[in-house]
Parts: sequence; C-alpha cells; structure tokens
Amino acid sequence: MKLLVIEDEPSLLASVLRYFRQERFFCDSACSYTEALQKVEDFQYDCIILDINIPGGSGLQLLRHLREDRKEDGVIIISARNSLDDKILGLDYGADDYLTKPFHLPELNARVKALIRRKYNKGNASVDLGQLSIDLSSRSVFVAGQLVSLSRIEYDLLVFLSTNKNRVVSRQAIAEHLHNGPADQASNPEFVYSHIKNLKRKLKEKGCFEIIHSVYGLGYKLIL
Amino acid sequence: MSRSLQVRNSRSLLTWLPLVMLGGFLFLYGLMRTHIRHMQEEQLKVKQANVWSAFGAGRDNFTRQISGEYDIVNVDPGIVDPLIHPRDTTLYAPSGKKGAVFAYLSQTHMLAGRAYRVTTYTSTEEFNHLLIKVFVAEAIIFLLLLSAIVLINRKASRRLWAPFYETMSAMRKYDIRENETLTLAAATGIGEFDRLNQTLGKVIDHVNRAYKSQKQFTENAAHELQTPLAIIRSKAELLIEDPALTEDTALLLSDIIEANERLSEMNKNLLLLTRIDTRQYPELQAIQFSDMISRIVGYYQENGEESVRDFRVSIQAGLMLFANAALIEIMIDNLLRNAMVHNVPGGYIEISLTDGQLDIENTGPVLEGDTDRLFERFQKGKDGSRSTGLGLALVRQICQLYHYDIQYRHKQGIHSLRIVFQGPDF
Repeated sequence: MKLLVIEDEPSLLASVLRYFRQERFFCDSACSYTEALQKVEDFQYDCIILDINIPGGSGLQLLRHLREDRKEDGVIIISARNSLDDKILGLDYGADDYLTKPFHLPELNARVKALIRRKYNKGNASVDLGQLSIDLSSRSVFVAGQLVSLSRIEYDLLVFLSTNKNRVVSRQAIAEHLHNGPADQASNPEFVYSHIKNLKRKLKEKGCFEIIHSVYGLGYKLIL
Repeated sequence: MSRSLQVRNSRSLLTWLPLVMLGGFLFLYGLMRTHIRHMQEEQLKVKQANVWSAFGAGRDNFTRQISGEYDIVNVDPGIVDPLIHPRDTTLYAPSGKKGAVFAYLSQTHMLAGRAYRVTTYTSTEEFNHLLIKVFVAEAIIFLLLLSAIVLINRKASRRLWAPFYETMSAMRKYDIRENETLTLAAATGIGEFDRLNQTLGKVIDHVNRAYKSQKQFTENAAHELQTPLAIIRSKAELLIEDPALTEDTALLLSDIIEANERLSEMNKNLLLLTRIDTRQYPELQAIQFSDMISRIVGYYQENGEESVRDFRVSIQAGLMLFANAALIEIMIDNLLRNAMVHNVPGGYIEISLTDGQLDIENTGPVLEGDTDRLFERFQKGKDGSRSTGLGLALVRQICQLYHYDIQYRHKQGIHSLRIVFQGPDF
C-alpha cells in the first residue's frame, strides 16, 4: 500500500511516517505545495494524508487539482482548523475523510484502513484474526464460527483494536474513538476499562482467551 | 435623584418663572398705584380749581357741599393749609349704610378777607375696580404665558435633544460581541451632539479594536498551540510501544499523556469559545431537540460513572429547537457531564424537558463561595483534575449566543440548572 503524507510540520510528519511504516505501508512525504503537486502527478497513491495549511498553497487547492485530474487516490484531510466550513468544503472537493488536529495516530490509522477497505474490498468486508472473525457489513463477531453478541460500543472497540492489531493503542485514543461526540471531553478513565473488561469477558465465554492485553494501564494491545 | 431632562427643565421653569412673574406683578402693581394716585391728584386739583372759580363767580347760591364731590367750609384765616397730597377717607352716602372710599384734597383759599377750605373728593372705588380687573387680566395672561413657555420649552427641548436620545438608544442596543462597529449620526445639526457622537465613535472604535485583537490573540494562541500538542501526542503514542518501557517509566509517561490530553481539551474548548464569540457557527437548522437530549442522556446512562446510576428522566417528545446542532449538542453534553462529574457517590441526576425549558438537577458537594462565578472561564471545583474549567463557560456562551436564559440555584447539595429557550430563534 502506498501512502503520501503531506504535512509541513517535520516532527509530526516523522511521527506519522514512523507509525505507518510499522504498519508496512510504503510511505512517501511532502512538506510543501509544489513538492506535493509533483508527487501527486508523478505517482499514484492508495491514500493521501493531506494537511490543509501547507506552505506555497492550500491543501484544498491540491485536492481540487487532484479531482479535476480524475485521480482516484483516497484523501484524508488533517487540519488544525476545526471549523465546519473547512470540513464541508473538504468533503465537497472530494476528500474521503476529515480529521482534526490534534489526532491520535491509531485513529488516523483506522481511518486510512477503513478508506482502503472501502476502496478495494467492496462487498467482501470481513476481518480475520485467527479464531476471531469480524463481519464488517453485518457488524457481527464470530469466535470459531460462534456468534458473540456485543454491544455497539464493544463492537466498535474490537474493530478499533483489530485495525491497530499488535500495537499499543492509548486509552485516550480509544476513549475519543468511542465517544464519537463533538465534545469528547477529558474522559473518565473507568470508561474504557469497563468496556475492555466486558469485551474480554464476552470473548472468553466463547473460548477466545488472552487476545487483548493491557500495557501498564497506558493502553491496550490486541495481539495475534 | 435623577430625573429626565424634560422633567428637570419644566420643574426649574415652573419654580423660577412664577417667582419672576410675581416680581413683575408687584412691580406693575406699584407702578399702577403710583400712576393712579398721580392721576387722582391731578383730577382733584382740576376739580378744586373749577369748584373754587365757580364758587367765586356765584358765592351766594352756590351749593356748599355735594357729597362725594366737594365741600367748602369757612375756616380761620390764620390757618393756611399747604397744598397737601390726597388722602383717603370713607364717606357714607346719606341713603345707604355702605361706605365708599374716596380720595380727597383740601386747600384753603382766601376770598374777600375770608378763608374757605375747599375739599374735593373723587372716588377711588372705580380705580380699585380697574386695578383688580387689570390684575385679573394680567394673571390670566401670566398663566397662559407660563404654560406656553413650559410647553414650547418641552417641545423645543424634545426636538433639540432628539439626536441625544438617538445616540443613547443606539448605545443601549450596542453589544460589542454582536456589532462590529457603531455608526452614529455625524451631522445632527447641533455642534455639541456632533462632538459627542464623534467622541463616542472613537471610544467604540478603540474598544472594538482592543476586543478584536484580544479575541484574535486567544484564537491565534489556541491555534498555534495545536501543533505542539499534536506533536507531543503523536510522540507519546509512539513511545508507549517502546519495548524498553518499564512499569516506572510507563507511569511517568501516563502522567505526561494525561496532562497533555487535558491541555488539548482545554485548548479545544478555548478555541470553541472564541469561535462562538466570533460567530463562526452560523449554520442554523431545526433540531429534533427531544431526540438529541434522549440520545445524549442514553449515552451517559450507558457509559457514565459507576457511582451515579440514578437517572430521573422526563422528556417531552417532539420538541424542536432552531440553532446550530453542533453547539447545542456541546451544550447538552457539557451540562450532563458537569452534573455527572460534580456529583456524589449514590447521587442522582434529574433531567426534565418541557416546552421551552430544560431543567437539570443533581446532587453534588455543597458549594462554597461565589456561585455567580460558576460560569466564568477556569472556575473549577475541588475536583480540578477531571475538568477543564471551561465546560460551563461554554454553556453560558452558547446560551448567550441564542439568547437563552440560564439560571442556577444551589441548595444544600442539590444543584439545579434551568435553561429557558425564549430567544428569537426558538
């Protein structure tokens, strides 16, 4: 999978690149408008992570250029501007998703993966995790063919962890992903813990043990 | 005590004008009296001369006395009266008992070695009547004049002060958070008011500029903080995967992450506050308000704190609200969160929505100090680590934006918050 990250803040760019390289993405980067334009025209990417504020031009401008060229690269906008206008404009110009800064890397990863899944596995949307399998279209989870009944939040939690499998996902990233509201306030630490506990219990009942691990209370990791 | 200009003006006119008029009245009275006296004197003198010359012409068959006109008496020739000023006396007509006041003038004349004192009379009654009539007329004229002056003055001052009242009403309506600038009439036709408007315009411009730059500063600061916060967050997320992490360093990292999250949250809320301030949420829509509240309440029932399980919900179905959906959701979310975080173990939250009114009541610790400042930015309760101190400030800001009335009451650990949706958008 080829990924282009367009971001002018070198330190943030480095973090994003590192995270996605560990996900075995082929990553390319650009930190100015002209550089980004060059790369977009020369290569084809599965997904482009696009910052709106880049030196030499606007990310929106680049996006419009891309779509006028009939390029089908998936685009996720990341922007410090939390205004609705940007979001609507971005999606109008043909962006596939929109994430505001500061974002959690596992969240960005989940968005990228979801985008790629929508792009390539049309219809056939299921995730296999050893004895565990998730049917994304019917939102159901099976352990060795047996249906596990999960609440909406537990299901979302499992999908989120599985998209970031074998990686530590911070408690805060999980909370923000699950809250999904406009005001994801500094959330209750018990909140994630109790959902993880329930999820683990339900999986265990169906014979799926020790798949989710806690990492020093910092976060959780789904290990395969 | 302050009263309106017109009342004050009328009042001083009504106080001083009658005094001035009374003075004029007295002066006129004195003047008229002197003139009348003088006239009487002249009349009496003329009569005296006429009577004396008539007496001299036909002394024997001349009637010596006509009451109220004249009388001639013989006097001792040794006494010579000097011509004196008229005096008043009361004469009684022989027919009636009613006396009348007359002025008289006596003079001693010599004729053929005998002295006669001639006294001529003239009635002052007529003059007195005249005087009274004149004064009645005068009083009526004065009263008319007084009311005319007061009325004209009122009317004129109303017209004169019109630009002032216009400026005042413009100032009263002016809200720095809503209006960008205030244009006051530049030429009112009155120099003082032109200058007043000019000065006010300048003051408002200054204040506006200061307010704008203050807002801009907050927004810029919050905006600029986003990048470093994002960097810290991303680095921390890479660091938690470090296999070299020990329990000890993990604890340190956890504290760093938490502090950073709080910082991000605060920053986000600050940004939100300034954006509401600068009216960056113009999109209005009809919101299924009842459904929205039910959904958010449901979320907290399902995912809230373990210690607060008692939700008493009564939501009237089908209520709508016309506002920005995102902002209203933030408001409700903050209110419920607030009721939950600042609660006590085993406490309750009561939510009731009726037409035009939302009540949220919850148990909580007894508040000390000024509850009026509860809605100020960075006003925190004791449990500081879990809140950003901006939640209620946001709620108030949103209420202000849509002209909702927000009331807070606290009584022995029961906190009640009421929002009345009576703004023009409801």
